[in-house]
Amino acid sequence: MKASSKYQHLYVVVEHEDGMPVPVSLEMLGEARRLMDGFNKKYSSDEKVVAVVLGHNVRKLCEELIFYGADAVICVDSPELQHRRNLIDTKVISQIARSRELVAKFSNASEFIKPRYMFFAADSIGRHMSSTVLAELESGLASDINKLVIEDLEIKHEHKTKGQSMKYEKTLEMYRPDFSGFLWTTILCLDNRNPANEREYHPQACSIIPGVFAPSERDTSRRGTVVEYIPEFDEKDLRVRVLDRKIVKSAVDFDSHKAVVSFGKGVKDSPEQNIKLIAELAKEIEAEVGVSLPISKKPFSVSESTNSTYMIPDRVIGTSGRKIAPLLYIAVGISGAMQHIAGMKESGFIVAINPDENSPIKDECDVFIKGRMEDVIPLLLEELRKQRPTIEVKK
Amino acid sequence: MTTTTTTTTNDLNVAVIVKLEPDFSEGNVSYNADGTLNRAETKSILGPHSAIASSAAFYAKVKYGARVAVGTMGPPIAESALQQAQLLCDADELHLYSDRIFAGADTLATAEVLRAGVSKVEGGKVNIVFSGHRASDGETGQTGPQTAWKLGYTFLGNVVDYNVDLESRLVRAKRLISLQGFYDIIEEVEAPLPVFISIDPSYKAFFNTVSQRLAFEKYQKEAKLRAENYKQFLKVLNTQQLGIDPKLVGLPGSPTIVYKVERIPKAKASRKAEVIDGANGEQIARVVSNMYEALGGMVIK
Repeated sequence: MKASSKYQHLYVVVEHEDGMPVPVSLEMLGEARRLMDGFNKKYSSDEKVVAVVLGHNVRKLCEELIFYGADAVICVDSPELQHRRNLIDTKVISQIARSRELVAKFSNASEFIKPRYMFFAADSIGRHMSSTVLAELESGLASDINKLVIEDLEIKHEHKTKGQSMKYEKTLEMYRPDFSGFLWTTILCLDNRNPANEREYHPQACSIIPGVFAPSERDTSRRGTVVEYIPEFDEKDLRVRVLDRKIVKSAVDFDSHKAVVSFGKGVKDSPEQNIKLIAELAKEIEAEVGVSLPISKKPFSVSESTNSTYMIPDRVIGTSGRKIAPLLYIAVGISGAMQHIAGMKESGFIVAINPDENSPIKDECDVFIKGRMEDVIPLLLEELRKQRPTIEVKK
Repeated sequence: MTTTTTTTTNDLNVAVIVKLEPDFSEGNVSYNADGTLNRAETKSILGPHSAIASSAAFYAKVKYGARVAVGTMGPPIAESALQQAQLLCDADELHLYSDRIFAGADTLATAEVLRAGVSKVEGGKVNIVFSGHRASDGETGQTGPQTAWKLGYTFLGNVVDYNVDLESRLVRAKRLISLQGFYDIIEEVEAPLPVFISIDPSYKAFFNTVSQRLAFEKYQKEAKLRAENYKQFLKVLNTQQLGIDPKLVGLPGSPTIVYKVERIPKAKASRKAEVIDGANGEQIARVVSNMYEALGGMVIK
């Protein structure tokens, strides 16, 4: 067995709905596997990918996660954990992260204090869970990550190193696209080595954008350890109760439409009329309407109904919103920031309408209609109506 | 987690934490030629999610007669966010947590300042803290829950509706949960006060009874007057006044750093586009026929 150190392993907090893994959970495991395989080779070590599962009747899911890349799965099975409750879950996950006994079940844990790295999903559960867990563990957290690299880095930082150049080994470079979709920020979680304020910050943690990383192929020959953990609940915390859960259909429905028409900042010359035109185009081909991220920040003054119907986060296509793959995708007045492309590039046939031939969207579409939407859409509508009957007869 | 004392009366004290953010509206926002935000040329306003959080606090004022305090961390200019929030929620107190050493803070170090700030409101007897879903510029959504944890308040995220039982000191809230590949879920939860609520962007306050509507109008008028004289309600607090350990805030208190910022490299062209002249009817006709062909795939299936 390899030597132990204070910080070991990569913990992945798995999300599921009644035992069915949320896709991002398997995506995180896939990326964790690739990273730790590289890590163990590079540093001649044997650190593990550790999946953490909270729930009720989740034993089967835990065993399944080994086939998707986990070396060890910490399984917390209790009726009290049927539904996610931030307060209780945060305490349980933090207990797990600090438990040397659990680590001893699958590796040398003599020196273990906390995980080296930790992954969460950047969704409505993981975003908050990661925040509270890392507040409890008092370490750093980066959100909405879409690229990860482990490196030894020379760091010279005003505070962290007091301006000296110092080597930080096994540092997780966490890449995060910013709100514009054009910039990539690399975030590091580093110990303070400044003599005035020395402090260790582990785990290095992040939340990961769903739909970015590929899950590993399911491999039933993989072996691993499932470790049961029985948590201690504080009676007082159990007063937070889930009373009811109802499935709701989102007002915006990309999945059951075969076409999507999206618009971006290019509507700016006359937003109200242009959005009406786009809605008319969408209606003509029975498409759902999507938007680029800047639109959800309501950059234009339009009527209240246009505002609340279209300029909303639910319609955002891209890494900050939904990832879709309709048969037909029409991008109107969208320049094509990477963060948008990531959400639509799997579409079948892609048409862009844009006056600027240098827009990045040109490299991501099948047909680039050069022109102003005010001119092009009426022509398209006319032609769509002209051609429609023949097509319908054919089918 | 620290424990906190709660009031034993039927009073309700609420606080809102807000942020001054770039104004992304047309005419106020400015982008560089490469599509990135031009911060120097872009105006600042109360963030849209902060505004929704403020209206959620106003609901508590109208419905339960709550006392409302608004707080923000930032440079002196951030007091304009407090003023704008006061107009929305008729705040009784405005707190600006301002100190040079707060600069460069990541979410954990920011949460430490906000924790200390909320602890100063009403002698630490705040029952509900509201925050927005996330900031429009940072977009992490982490500061709210981290502040909640440091305060020792139960965190309820993505809240679309809430009500308080003043007698039993319980909150009932509806939360919107969206998970990749699953249906959205509306979950109803109950939690004892104190709680920290992060408000979902889709939140809307409804006032059903006549007395609520009257209270709504009364407080709205009051808010307008107060916001005109917001400085009377404003307290500026620094590290010392907040009683903060300087090692836990700003750069020293931030586990994370921004290592580098780069342009996202242009991906290799994934498709070869045919360029069509938007004014050419014949070419448009061909595109339309291709579009119908693409859609036809579904019909055959």
